[in-house]
Amino acid sequence: PETAENMSEQQLDAALDLMRRLPPQQIKENLEGLIDLVPSLCEELLSSVDQPLKVAKDPSNGKEYLLCDYNRDGDSYRSPWSNKYDPALPDGALPSAKLRETEVMANDAFDTYREMYFEGGVSSVYLWDLDDGFAGVVLIKKMGDGSKKMKGCWDSIHVVEVQDRGRNAHYKLTSTVMLWMQTNKPQSGNMNLGGSMCRQAEQDFPVSDATPHIANIGHMVEDMELKMRSALQDIYFGKTKDIVNDLRSVASLGEARKQRELQRGIAAALKGRNAS
Amino acid sequence: MASYDEEIPDSEKVKLASGFILNAPPGEFNEVFNDVRVLLNNDTLLKEGASKAFSKYNQDQFTPVKVPGGSHKTLITKHGEVDATTYFDPRSAQNFAFDHLRKEASDPAPGNVDQGAESYRSVIDKAIQGYVEDHYPSGVSAVYGSGGTVTVCIEDHKFNPNNFWNGRWRSEWTLTTGSGDLKGVLKAQVHFYEDGNVQLISQKEVKESISAGSPEQAAKNVVSVIEKAENEYQTAISENYSTMSDTTFKALRRQLPITRAKLDWNKILHFKVGAEMSKK
Repeated sequence: PETAENMSEQQLDAALDLMRRLPPQQIKENLEGLIDLVPSLCEELLSSVDQPLKVAKDPSNGKEYLLCDYNRDGDSYRSPWSNKYDPALPDGALPSAKLRETEVMANDAFDTYREMYFEGGVSSVYLWDLDDGFAGVVLIKKMGDGSKKMKGCWDSIHVVEVQDRGRNAHYKLTSTVMLWMQTNKPQSGNMNLGGSMCRQAEQDFPVSDATPHIANIGHMVEDMELKMRSALQDIYFGKTKDIVNDLRSVASLGEARKQRELQRGIAAALKGRNAS
Repeated sequence: MASYDEEIPDSEKVKLASGFILNAPPGEFNEVFNDVRVLLNNDTLLKEGASKAFSKYNQDQFTPVKVPGGSHKTLITKHGEVDATTYFDPRSAQNFAFDHLRKEASDPAPGNVDQGAESYRSVIDKAIQGYVEDHYPSGVSAVYGSGGTVTVCIEDHKFNPNNFWNGRWRSEWTLTTGSGDLKGVLKAQVHFYEDGNVQLISQKEVKESISAGSPEQAAKNVVSVIEKAENEYQTAISENYSTMSDTTFKALRRQLPITRAKLDWNKILHFKVGAEMSKK
């Protein structure tokens, strides 16, 4: 018999499968539609479906920060710079004092990372306590400048889980990179190439003053983005382009066939001549 | 957006379900349909309220289908719709029943031919068949004639779910035989979904003009214009890919920092800590 729990799990699977198939260009509308269709999945969907990152300004210092489910409490979002919620929330969830110290350092470190690799954009890191360690999310958003009539945008969402194991720690990283490219030009009409890629990694690192958590997480994120940048390039600008050119040929297929037959004929004739 | 306790009415739910179905990428109708079925959890409601979406989807996609009793294929399009479950194949002048869920054709019967448009339609159909064979590895075309209009529909697709990708090309060209106006809508869609969801959605509208003259002249000119326009579109897409890769993508994120080496995280942390301490 179909239990309520089974149904719920089946529905979550169906919702996630749907999000992998519907055009990612409409993630926001698709997600809203799914939540309307199955309201009981709301919390699960909001926490498991990656959305393009939104930017907000910290009212206390004017600094930009990124919004996600991990720094949200109700309808307010916590700034990693001031540790305050906007709109204000007197009882908003905050990291412990010690973890907040680590969070401040992580934000500074990834701010440098962001500048070195992205030369612009916005980054934010949010940490939260776990029983045997802590977890966090590293967010980066970089929008293109629109030159060559191309709109581009990169969103990084790295969720890391850190489990303390004495002198070592075990790190689990789940990374999503969203890449959006759009252009509207007379010769090509409207061209929208967008979506996301997800990868995972697990690694143990020693933890000490010389190799603190942030350095270990930094290494993992950096290596992951290196791999993903390469994969994104291959898939976006290699694979999808190849598929388009498999659907239709600019060159005449008849001409290509004639050429091949001509070559075959020459090869056969040469073989015959060599044999005799 | 509904809150946890509120449920939207069934009529709204079925609209959402239909919307999802209409947005299924090429080759993935069944998977999207099954997902929607589980989410809606009401088969009667789905059948009664979303069946229009099944037919609209097939029409939008220019779904190719083998003509019953024939050896060629035609396309399911709005131009060939006789009624919800009956479609017309202009090449064999036959009607046939079409099952939108199984995507199967059956029960051929003679259909109605618009004699006024048929001379242009049939010559253009032949010419387009030659054009499609020359540019589409497995393309299918359907050419409809109605009044003073001839409509050319071309479709090709490649489905490779084992490797997590699907793609489809659609062209629709409308010729007004009197004025020689030729309007085109070209669409390319690709879905790649191995460990992710990446889609290319591209569309271009074209406005051209030909001298119609005799059916033979019209056919020759139509093919010439279509070939040039579709080549231009496809070439422009390729050029965009190059620009995106070489310029836009590079400007979003460098492969390595300007130092040409990965970051020294300890240096970064100690620098920041040092800066903090010097502030105190």
